[in-house]
Amino acid sequence: MDTLFLARLQFAATTSIHFLFVAVTLGLVTLLVGLQTAGFVTGKPVYERLTRFWGQLYVINYALGIATGLVMEFQFGLNWSGLARYVGNVFGAPLAIETLVAFFLESTLLGMWIFGWHRLRRGVHLALLWGVALTAYASAYWVLVGNAWLQHPVGYELRDGVAHLTDFTALLTNPTLGFALGHVISASLVTGGLLMAAVSAWHLLRRTPDFLLFRTSLRLGLLTAGVAVVFLLGFGFAQFGPVGQLQPTKFGGGPDRDALVAGWVTRFGPGDYTPPTLSDVGLGFMILIGFGLFLGLLLLPLLWRDQIIRLRFPLWLVLLALPLPFVAVLLGWIAREVGRQPWAAYGLLPVERAVSPVGPGVMLASLIGFALLLGALAVTNWTLIARHAARGAADPALGRPPAPETDTRPHSVFA
Amino acid sequence: MELAWYALLGLFFATYLVLGGYDYGVGLLLAHGATEERRRAALTAVGPFFLGNEVWLVAAAGILLGAFPALEGELLAGYYPAVAGALVGVVLVNAGVQLRSRPRTRSARARWDRVVVAGSVLAALGWGALLGGLLQGLPLHPDGHVDGVGHLFTPFVAATALAVLALVALQGATFLTLRLPAAGAATLTRVARRLVPVALAAVGTATVLGLLSARVRAAVARPAVAVLLLFVLVAALLAARAALGRGRPGVAFAATGAALALPVALVGAALWPRILVSTVDPAASLAVVDGAASGPTLSLLGWLALPLLPALLGFQAMCWWIFRERTDGRAPVYW
Ligand code: HDD
Ligand code: HEM
Ligand code: HEM
Repeated sequence: MDTLFLARLQFAATTSIHFLFVAVTLGLVTLLVGLQTAGFVTGKPVYERLTRFWGQLYVINYALGIATGLVMEFQFGLNWSGLARYVGNVFGAPLAIETLVAFFLESTLLGMWIFGWHRLRRGVHLALLWGVALTAYASAYWVLVGNAWLQHPVGYELRDGVAHLTDFTALLTNPTLGFALGHVISASLVTGGLLMAAVSAWHLLRRTPDFLLFRTSLRLGLLTAGVAVVFLLGFGFAQFGPVGQLQPTKFGGGPDRDALVAGWVTRFGPGDYTPPTLSDVGLGFMILIGFGLFLGLLLLPLLWRDQIIRLRFPLWLVLLALPLPFVAVLLGWIAREVGRQPWAAYGLLPVERAVSPVGPGVMLASLIGFALLLGALAVTNWTLIARHAARGAADPALGRPPAPETDTRPHSVFA
Repeated sequence: MELAWYALLGLFFATYLVLGGYDYGVGLLLAHGATEERRRAALTAVGPFFLGNEVWLVAAAGILLGAFPALEGELLAGYYPAVAGALVGVVLVNAGVQLRSRPRTRSARARWDRVVVAGSVLAALGWGALLGGLLQGLPLHPDGHVDGVGHLFTPFVAATALAVLALVALQGATFLTLRLPAAGAATLTRVARRLVPVALAAVGTATVLGLLSARVRAAVARPAVAVLLLFVLVAALLAARAALGRGRPGVAFAATGAALALPVALVGAALWPRILVSTVDPAASLAVVDGAASGPTLSLLGWLALPLLPALLGFQAMCWWIFRERTDGRAPVYW
């Protein structure tokens, strides 16, 4: 096994795990902002309970977002030093901005949000969550600016084989960026919404206490996923435009592709410039799942007079559909990333020049180590999420009021 | 321009070692014969700061990738085992601290605490090995490839790794003397005072091995600066011990923090203008300026990122300010 193959496998494994968690993060944080804002405006206690329950699941999920994200970030230097060497002047900038502008603030604010319950003024506490959500969206944006550049390099010039930045706005208006961003965000909202709906459906099916609370979150989750799935399909089909035009080797053939490949053969020498069929298969299944979820819109009228809860079987459908978005996001990324093979930066930097010059032994140890570590942590994390979801909203640790003081000085809860 | 970014990179990495250092130090102390209640109290002391500490590493890696892409690739790939080991440690601590209190049973929590201890050890050793490895150079060839990973397994690198481990443990202890309820802080003061000589011995061993190593002597371009900074480090450790004795935990924490930041400054200053020193071909060594991104990238980053710096620091300061008091019975408990 060669270093290149192992490095690609490691990247695919770790990014996939990362994305399974960040899709939930991005979706849930949006819903949480809605819940906590509603609680702030209406003052109804049910919203605070909802925020604490879903916030608890969100925070557990976040732990792996960070852990896997750190591995991703270092992997560029560890395994893909050629990427930094040849195109780092351009590709590094959006990722650097992302870490400084988005992640740095996101985690700092989240730490204060977790520990700020009953301690900060309610307005400040709510503002912190808004900050967390905005920076999470900012991070999705900047990371996709980086990814879109690898899909379609723009705004650079080559000097001595090294790319130098000439036009940063070209990166921000990259035609492979906009629709992908919309598609990724709607996919995350579908994932987060369906997760919320499925957990609520489970509680309603089991007839656990808190009927009203889970009824509310079932409706919120389903409506969010329902609206988002329309945008998801819209942005999905819209992506075929730029992809077909700019990456003719990705899905299928045609004269465009042959011309492009002929050009590459003269510039980079003969070679196999067609991506593995894996990407087309991924695309097909994802679209199938997309239509399946779209059919789920038929459930929405059943929200009227709680038919959906009384009939019960629709709740089963919601529960069983939960794995679908997770499968689809992975297939979507496989379509996008495998589809640009054999290029690390499309038409500019072949993967074998991007990979680090380290021995296969080191790479294999690294692959096994990180895949086992992150895989085990992912499974543990999902188990914990499932247990906390099943435990219900009676007393989540997040936002638990502090123990009563031993001395009896009066104090208000939101001092 | 490059120098400013290099200083900023050093600042972020050093701050990470200072702040993440007490996370890992507290993590190490979880192994110190503590009951579940005492471990929970220690993690509550770290509580609100934990998430905001590790982002300094994320940001340092971002600056490295954006402002020093060529350096990033050669540095991380060249010291692969040290970086990967540290990274595994960071991941374990991150997952362990955030998840340890989610199960309800004591046995599950005790298992997670062992994960945190192991992660803290790995993280401290890994970053220490990276700093030592930099001072000692690496077998770098002009095409960017490095001969194997054996260059990391030397007595000097082992000694620097252990020295950082000792400094981190000390940092965790002084942090707890500052944050725990006054009653619990007294025992920690004793632990911290006993850790100072250990740290001094570890730093001394690393110094002696460094002076004996021909590779280190060859790599260090400014021995005078290195020796000066070493003296400052020792002085900081002695100051920490004195402050602990006089019941000044704030001063002690500042001093042990300085002791963790100084090795970064030492490596940067002693090797300047180079950063990666090749032991096989002097021409293959990488100077900081050559590892940096080209002008347009640096100025773009400057215009976009630097104006935000006050906001970034402001939010961190806000977090320190809100939670500045010692923890007590009413402190929010979550980890
Ligand atoms: C809930 C998840 C989900 C669902 C149901 C769908 N997608 Fe998707 N798709 C993604 C989640 C996703 C994704 C993971 O978010 C990707 C990966 C990269 C990206 O931009 O979005 C993606 C990529 C992706 C790409 C590849 C773009 C590229 O190669 O640059 C295309 C063409 C589509 N999608 C099209 C569709 C269509 C036509 C769908 C349904 C009819 C669809 N997707 C459903
Ligand atoms: C948005 C930021 C992303 C960037 C900058 C990025 C970058 C890269 C790079 C550098 C590689 C290795 C080179 C190659 O094999 O082409 C790669 C491969 C890959 N990435 Fe991404 N990626 C991103 C997002 C994702 C996400 C979120 C996923 C999955 C959920 C993903 C899935 C993959 C897969 C499956 C491969 C392996 C492709 C193959 O070599 O067969 N990527 N990506
Ligand atoms: C392959 C490229 C990627 C890299 C290098 C990367 C890097 C990181 C890092 C370092 C973190 C941890 C931040 C912290 O400590 O707080 C993180 C978390 C996160 N990432 Fe990624 N990421 C990548 C892909 C993506 C993609 C494609 C998305 C979304 C579209 C995404 C969204 C997020 C979000 C929202 C977080 C916040 C933490 C969480 O959600 O749990 N990342 N990422």
